[in-house]
Order: sequence, then structure tokens, then C-alpha cells
Amino acid sequence: MELVELVVGRILPYVTLVVLIVGLVMRLTRWNKGPTPKMTIFPGATNRGEMITNILKEVLIFRGLFQGNKGLWVGSWVFHAMLAFIFFGHIRVVWEALFFLPEKGQHLVSAATGGTFGVIVLLAATYLFIRRLTVGSVREISDVEDYFALVLIVAIVLTGDAMRFLPAAHIDLAESTRPYFLSLITFSGAEVPSNPWFLMHYLLGQVLFLYLPFSKFLHIPGVFYSQALIQKA
Amino acid sequence: MSEFEHKDAVVKSVNAIKNGPRSMQLYMDICAKCGTCAENCHVYYGNPCKETNPAARSDLIRNIYKKHNTITGKLLRRGELTEADFEGWVKSFWECSGCRRCAVYCPYGIDNSVLTRKGRAIIHSLGMSPVRIADTQDISDKFGNDEAQPPKAIKAALEFLEEEIEDETGVKVRIPVDEEADILFVPASADLISFPETQMGVAYFFHLIGASWTMATDAVDGANFGLFSGDDAHMKRKNKLLHDACLKYKAKMLIIGECGHAYRIAKRIGGVNYFGENGKLPYEVTNIFSFAEPYFKDGTIKLDKTKFGKSVTYHDPCNFGRSTGVTEEPREILDLLVDDFREMTPNRAQNWCCGGGGGLAVMDGKEGVKALGDETFLDSRMKAAKKKVEQVKETGAEYMAAPCANCKRHVGQMLEHYETGVESGGVFDILIQAAIPPAE
Repeated sequence: MELVELVVGRILPYVTLVVLIVGLVMRLTRWNKGPTPKMTIFPGATNRGEMITNILKEVLIFRGLFQGNKGLWVGSWVFHAMLAFIFFGHIRVVWEALFFLPEKGQHLVSAATGGTFGVIVLLAATYLFIRRLTVGSVREISDVEDYFALVLIVAIVLTGDAMRFLPAAHIDLAESTRPYFLSLITFSGAEVPSNPWFLMHYLLGQVLFLYLPFSKFLHIPGVFYSQALIQKA
Repeated sequence: MSEFEHKDAVVKSVNAIKNGPRSMQLYMDICAKCGTCAENCHVYYGNPCKETNPAARSDLIRNIYKKHNTITGKLLRRGELTEADFEGWVKSFWECSGCRRCAVYCPYGIDNSVLTRKGRAIIHSLGMSPVRIADTQDISDKFGNDEAQPPKAIKAALEFLEEEIEDETGVKVRIPVDEEADILFVPASADLISFPETQMGVAYFFHLIGASWTMATDAVDGANFGLFSGDDAHMKRKNKLLHDACLKYKAKMLIIGECGHAYRIAKRIGGVNYFGENGKLPYEVTNIFSFAEPYFKDGTIKLDKTKFGKSVTYHDPCNFGRSTGVTEEPREILDLLVDDFREMTPNRAQNWCCGGGGGLAVMDGKEGVKALGDETFLDSRMKAAKKKVEQVKETGAEYMAAPCANCKRHVGQMLEHYETGVESGGVFDILIQAAIPPAE
């Protein structure tokens, strides 16, 4: 186990961080250099403020999907919104963001939101998976990478949920995880949590970030760039 | 199957996307394969299969790009482009009309028409464009217009239209040709011969407002197959004819007629981007609707709404709607021309393409495209027209106004093929009947 802890907990995090940042910066730099001839889809925006509003509508409420496919809009919005909440919820790993609550309240809020969202996102992912397999217009354009992306996210969510719901897999945030993550930042050597569920969750999460700058996950930064092209006044 | 002789040229052209326009780079990287494009595509609606799925069509290019430019692609993707594959390209990229409707609904705003045009550009560079498309470009380069008309024939055709206008309205209307004037008017090429009613209506309009206008024998049509074929050099050459004529006849204004793609090139793609000095042209570029609307609204044109006598619906040509935003002016004008105007739903930016856009309308046969098999382009266009026919039928209108020569040709065939009994034509066609001739 010690080798696993060394690789997953001591070496890989820094590799992941470098690959993610360098990969993204290189890709965004290339995008930035690409010529942008006019290609507005009218009515488009008439000024910068309107353009930003339009882009935010796409990013926050999935306007295009709402108009183009209501079923997918529900499933997809829930999936992404839950993932976003869960992602930002991980701030508690390094910082007691709910410090203004008593300790019991912190646990309650965290368990209620994280727990609920962790289940809902699985339902949404299942819907997306079934849709990809059964709807002809989606199945015929799906390849290995599309399935891999979904499976990866589901695996990350499942291992995360396990730590919350399975008593045997439970890990104490304040006692063991937080000191370790803070030590990554300060380069001091706090112990890597040896809980196998944690190590699995952590490894898969890092695979996601390693993979992000080279995969369809580029739609996360890309949506802003791409919408700007057709919204431009 | 033996190796495809142009394989390397195709791969090279696809690889160029890596440092090419931002749109294409993004479209290689970010598609999440959600299938929303297919559900909002008229070609897919009329014939749902992988070959007509917009994301799958874009994958023809994307798969080659990924194979050569991504880590997973280099590791996982096998197989080389064969000649049969590439014949499939020709069919597929010439089945998409480039209407850009998918971009309205795609969560990322991916405009598949950009990749359609890229695919067509590669096809064209290898000399494999559909026959009719390549021929029309050649004719245009030789004659300066798509209809192979020498100046003498153009003048004769316009004189004939003058007589026709007089026959129908009793008003003597002159169509000035090759004169210095404030306005240079450029219609769609088909408006001279195939759909002269629109040209007659526009000439009548200019007469009624007493405009100083002219047409030019060396820039008599705005149609530009360079936009369709992906041949940028041709697009610029053709656009230059309009620019040169404006300078030659000292026009202060270039007005494009009922031809959406001509207007898109003159206004947004070419025009000032090709020939501007300090971001300006010595003349204004507009379209007949934006120019004419105020004259209709302020009563300069006297109209009798009851004269036309048919209920009318309006089809937003893709290039007037989504691509240049001319959606309200034609409606305002129609509302004044007829007393029964009916909207199709959805409309404007969300309008369904009729199926004739992107140059498809001129192709009836196989045009040398082997992958079509037993089908013709006319067959595949009629399938793609299914949604439009449903939309038109829902309105119950008797006349479908579609101000675009591509739309007009295709829509006429479509309305007949589906036995709708609906007539079609332009917007200005109606003016000939609806205008009250001025007292002598």
C-alpha cells in the first residue's frame, strides 16, 4: 500500500497540477491565436454587455438545449449543476468554509447537500448513459471517448458516495484529509490517508484532471469561446 | 481497396485546422456528442441516419484530426481514408445546406456549416466538386455571371422585362443599365431569367420612388458559388465584380436584391473585408428590404392590399435570417402588401431551412457524385424538404414568399413534389399587382 500512497498522494498530485495548467494554457493560447472572421448568428448581441448575458444564459441555464431538446435539457442541466456544486463543495477539503456554523451544523449541511447531490448526479448520469445507448441519433455519433468520460465521472461519484454512505469507507475530513491536503500546499509531510476508497476516489479524480486538457472535457472552457463567436455583435 | 491517392492532401488540409480559425479549432476539441444538432436538422429529420447526422458529418473531418493531433487519437484510432470514404464525403458535405440552424441549438454554438464548407473546400481543391457547382463557377469566371449571358443578352432581357412591366401595370418603367447612378442594384442571377417577377417588382419599386439607380452588365448577379464550394479565391473574384461596378458607376449605395447569400458576402464576409480602406468602402452596402421598408411605411408606395388576393407566408432564407439578421423588414413590407399574412413557426433565427440552401438547389441529377448510388440530388433534397412542407401546410397559406434564388427553385419543386397546391415566389413579385399605379 505504501507505494500506492506515495504515487497517488505524493507524486501524482503535482504532476496532475502541472499537466492540467500547462495543458490548458497551451490549448487556450492556441485558441486565442486563431483568426476569428465574423460569424454572428442573428439576432446576436448588440453590445458587449448583451453578449456576456447571452453567453451566461447558455452556460448557466443551457438556453440552446432548453429550446432544442427539453428532455436532455433537464437531464444535462441537473447533471452539470450537481457536479458543479459537488466540485465546489470540495473546498471543505482544505478549508472549513462553513466555519460560521457549529460543528454539528457543518456536518448536517455537508451531509444533506453533498449526500443528496451525490445521489442525484448518479441518476442524471444514468439517464445520459441510457440515452447515449438507446437514442439512435446519439448512439450513432458516440465513440469510446464519450463512454469513457461518463464512466470515469460515475466511478468518481460512486467512490465519493461510498465514503459518505458506507460506514466502513468513512473518512474523517477534519482529522485526516485536511491535514494531508494542507501539507501538499506547504510541502510538509503529513500522512497520506490510507483509506482505499479515498485513494481510489483521489486517483480517479486526478485522472479526470490529467485527461481534461486533451479531451471532450475541453467543452468546459470551450463553451465560452465558442458561444462568443456566434454571439458577437 | 487500394490506397486513396489524395489521402495525404486531405490529411494535410485537416491538420491545418490546428493553427487555423478559432471556430474550427474549437469544433475539433469541444463537441460533447449530445445529438441536439441532429434533432434540429431538416436533413436528418427527412432522412434520419448516421450519414445525415450533423455531428457524424463533422466527424468525417474530426476523426482525421483526432487521429493525427491528439494523444488518444494517435494511440487508439486506426484505419486510413479510402477512396470510397472520400466519395462519401462528397455526398455528405453536399447534403448539408449549411443553414446554421444546428448552431442555434448546440449548447456550445458549434456551427457545423463551417466544417461543411471546410469539407467542400477540400473536395473542390481535389477537383471533385459536384459537376453543376464546378461548372457554374467556371461559367461565372468566363462571363461574369452564372447564366452565361453576354452584355447584349442581359440588355435584351431587361428590355423585355420593361415591356412585361408595362403590360402588367400600364406603367412605363425604365431599367437603367451601365449608367452612372446613386444606386447599383444587384439581384440573384436567376432573377433575370428563371424568376423575372422579382426583378420586375424591384424595377417597379425604384420607378415609383424615383430612384437614381442602375444595373451593370459586368456585375449583373450577386450569386457567388465560392461561398458554396469553399473556394475563397472565387468568392473574392466574384465579389470584386460588384465592387468594381460600384466604383465605375460612382454608386453611393450597393443594394443586393432577394438573394441572402449574396448579401451575406457583400455585407459580412467580403465587401469591406476584401476591399475596404481603413475599414470603409466608398459606398454603402445594403439589401432591398432594408432600403425599401421606409418607402412602404411612409406611404410613398401606394398599395391596395386586396389586389394580390392570396394568403401569404414568409420563409426566412437562412442567409437573410440567421446570417445577416434581415428578418423584420420583409415582414413589414409583406404586411403592407397583402391583407392575409401568416407566420410559420418557428421562424426568424429558428426557421427550418427549406433544403435548397448552400447551392443544393441547382443540383437535380447525380452531378458525378458516385456515393449517391441510385439516388439523385433532387431525391435527397425532397426528403430534406419534409419539415418545411409540414410547416407551410400548417399555415394554410396559398403563397410562400422566399426571397432567395436557391430557396425559390427548391421550394417550387418541393411544393409540387408534395402536391401542396401552394404557389411560391419572392416578396417584390407581389408589388406588381399590389401597387396602385401613379396617376399620369
